[in-house]
Amino acid sequence: MPDELVFMMGQYAAKIPGDRSYAPNHLWLKPIDGGYQVGFTAYSVRLLQDVYFLEWSIDPDTRVRKKQSIGEIESSKALSTLYAPFEGRVIEFNESLLSDPSAINTDGYGRGWLFTFETDAELLDPAAYVKLLEAGWEDTQRMIKGQINEG
Amino acid sequence: MPAKKLTVVISQGQGKNPARRNLEEDIAAALIMDPDVDVSLVPHLYDMSRDHTGMLFLRSVPGDLVVLSWLYPRATRWILDRSDVSGQEGISLLKDEDADDEEEFQEAAAKDDDKDRVAAHRNGVPKRKIYCIDLRAASGSKPFLDEIRRIARENTVQTFDLMQWIQGTPKPQQLERYLHPDRMLAASKATPLGDEENGSATSVASPDLPEPTKRRWYPVIDYSRCTNCMECLDFCLFGVYGVDGQEHILVEQQDNCKKGCPACSRVCPENAIIFPGHKTAAIAGADGEVAGLKIDLSRLFGAPNAIELAAEERDAELVADGRTAVGLTVGIPKRQTENAAKPKDALDALMDGLDELM
Repeated sequence: MPDELVFMMGQYAAKIPGDRSYAPNHLWLKPIDGGYQVGFTAYSVRLLQDVYFLEWSIDPDTRVRKKQSIGEIESSKALSTLYAPFEGRVIEFNESLLSDPSAINTDGYGRGWLFTFETDAELLDPAAYVKLLEAGWEDTQRMIKGQINEG
Repeated sequence: MPAKKLTVVISQGQGKNPARRNLEEDIAAALIMDPDVDVSLVPHLYDMSRDHTGMLFLRSVPGDLVVLSWLYPRATRWILDRSDVSGQEGISLLKDEDADDEEEFQEAAAKDDDKDRVAAHRNGVPKRKIYCIDLRAASGSKPFLDEIRRIARENTVQTFDLMQWIQGTPKPQQLERYLHPDRMLAASKATPLGDEENGSATSVASPDLPEPTKRRWYPVIDYSRCTNCMECLDFCLFGVYGVDGQEHILVEQQDNCKKGCPACSRVCPENAIIFPGHKTAAIAGADGEVAGLKIDLSRLFGAPNAIELAAEERDAELVADGRTAVGLTVGIPKRQTENAAKPKDALDALMDGLDELM
């Protein structure tokens, strides 16, 4: 198995497994039969913290555009709309998360997967994703800080 | 001359929603009997043109004015302003309960604000007060009647106002109908005033009713926020915006505006452009910008930013007009790089800070 990479978020080490690909909106995509399993990276989960609620606004087996809104998530720290990582087709959702989303926190790279997805888009490899995290880190901190100040 | 009266104007909602009709009628009926108040009904504010008799009537009101409408107060205030119904902002104690916290933040923000707002350059705004009240702020007529009576009491202890001189001039005959809300109510049963789309436009026009209005769509500028940066003028490719004699931005060709398109509002760095009919509260004129203490990570998870969304909306309207989509190549603000100087903190400190807030 390829090496795991680590991105330091302050004191927190976000692990970026080497066995899968990534999307710029902080999702991982792991190849499975007929497509990919998709989930939140450790980076996303660290920012969200405890996930309370997850809801999808589209049906399974739906074609989506890149950046199309597909659902909502609420956690102890954040609210967010969720967006399709690329153009493609959402095949099915991880039903077990709808009643209890805690696997997103406890096993984000495994049982906490969100949906399965079919796409022809070009994905990021782990190194490219870490590079993107490095480039965006200051900006992300500013965005969060800015919202705390405004809020 | 009788003691100074408070003028209350109810701007009717669009459409036939019976709950809305009932509230409007309940409030009007109660106020007709009130000796301290003159009450009138007008069609939906946003749909009345500048020369509509309802707007003429509003311009003729000399003293303090309470306007009730199915709009955010900020939208009401600036819709009136663009038709020269202006005055000082009256503070209503009746507001959405949820809005209270935001209000405090608003005020705090306004104090240490050193930006140059267009409103600061305007002369001759009358001293009288205009109270704008959102009819969605409470249920049942009682809270509204209580608040109107509170304002009426506040009003009677005020000193004599120079604006009084207008009172006593004969009302033009066409405005006469606004002085008889009882007749207007009777004539308008079930159909909102002036609403052509939903009313039976073919029925014989009653002299007690105002002339019909059509649904409109155009931006309304909040000059207490606007800094005259002209980004809307650069961005809109339909020629809606222009400048006045003092080089201040204004909505010049409102009928060029594309129905449903709020793109310029998203581009505005001060959130000063209101589309009162838009479904997003911040665009429709609600106060405040961020809801609650939770952070919004939508941008992180791939949300199109406001500028991308605005460009997309503009492109759709350009294409519908048989023109070519321009995407992000024309009239896009160059301000995204300005944020670089803000202080930086470690994430842990941020998260700890959040913990204390929760």
